[in-house]
Amino acid sequence: MNKIGLFCFFAFCTCLTFPSSGQVKALSSADAEMVKKSIAEAAKSTVSLESGFIQTKELSVIKEQIVSKGIFYLKKNRLLRWEYTYPFAYLIIFNNDRIYVKDEDKENHISIQSNKVFREVNNILIGAVQGTLLQDTKNFQCSIFDQHDQFKALLIPVNEKLRGSISEITLFFSKSDYTVEKLVMREASGDYTRIEFMSKKINQNIPDEKFAIP
Amino acid sequence: MRSLRYLSAILLIVVVSCSPVKKSTLTEVKHDDKAPEWESPFSKDFDKAMFKASLDVRGKHLSGIALIKKTSDTSFHFSFANEIGMTYFDLELWKDSYRCDYVFGPLNKKAFLNILQHDFRVLLFTGSFCGNPSHYKDPVTLDNIYYYSASSLFAYFNKENGKLTRLAGWSNLVDAVLIGLEYTQGPFPSGINILNPRIGMLLDLNLLGR
Repeated sequence: MNKIGLFCFFAFCTCLTFPSSGQVKALSSADAEMVKKSIAEAAKSTVSLESGFIQTKELSVIKEQIVSKGIFYLKKNRLLRWEYTYPFAYLIIFNNDRIYVKDEDKENHISIQSNKVFREVNNILIGAVQGTLLQDTKNFQCSIFDQHDQFKALLIPVNEKLRGSISEITLFFSKSDYTVEKLVMREASGDYTRIEFMSKKINQNIPDEKFAIP
Repeated sequence: MRSLRYLSAILLIVVVSCSPVKKSTLTEVKHDDKAPEWESPFSKDFDKAMFKASLDVRGKHLSGIALIKKTSDTSFHFSFANEIGMTYFDLELWKDSYRCDYVFGPLNKKAFLNILQHDFRVLLFTGSFCGNPSHYKDPVTLDNIYYYSASSLFAYFNKENGKLTRLAGWSNLVDAVLIGLEYTQGPFPSGINILNPRIGMLLDLNLLGR
């Protein structure tokens, strides 16, 4: 065997011996319940959360990406400020059943009950960042996987209407503090949106004015 | 039955003979030089463009990001998603046909999609190759207007810089489409608005990048 052949043989053996860092292992139902419980406890003890995010929308048919950036603030109960700063300023405030949208200089007040799209967005965003989507057995079938330094929760919509627009949601939780680090929402169209959270600040004081609807 | 056929034929003649712009409001230029050669801003070197987009139709307001990409010499892809990333629709457009790859449930109305795709075809696939035009002038702005009778299309050009500023045509037999183009940063339009007055549809596109 020449030197190159020997190198390839050892490289192959190494790959077999050491699993890659991205290896995914499905958890048993008992372990999955433990993880869900830890995520729920972490969410329960999270009074407020502030985080930057990068959102990447993948257009599957034309293989293009649309990247947006921003910051979000979450406060108990059901208060969420989702603010885009790039490529343009766009703000959504979810304050219980009311939604306020500011699109540059245009302002809009929406009732969550009357707008199907925003109702879905509200449930998914708040449920994802709080981890409560994992308990939503009415709408999702949930499986938990162990993936390197994260737990991966795969949520498949069971509700037929929801399945018409979203085929699956994957949430990635940190093993150290059980907060969500990444969200991947795959649509029925084949497109998907990945939101990565960074510079998280947990339980720091966020003034109520951040969620005030003018 | 026979009278119904006559009535349909008369209606068709009346509709077809109508024009999206009243010619009586324009000044005809009788002795004219050669008409300019022009093409849609989406032809030639165009690859893709991303827009901040909003769509108002029948009292509903949708906003987000839209992408127009040239997918071959004869086709374009139009994708429109909300700010959170959920797709409203994905259309593949050719000169004489279209395919809807995805449409969000409540927007899945055949008549609406038909109008939208026709509007895009006016924007993407028109040019001086549409035939021999008649020449008019806007009496107020003195902009040059060329009317291509074969495709019932009016093309407006700024009298100073010669840029295409407006297209007026038909989405179908009864729906006129008016497309406005604004330029602030070079030869490609920085703003495009597509208006269908009869159904009250306005699609507003503001360039984010190419």
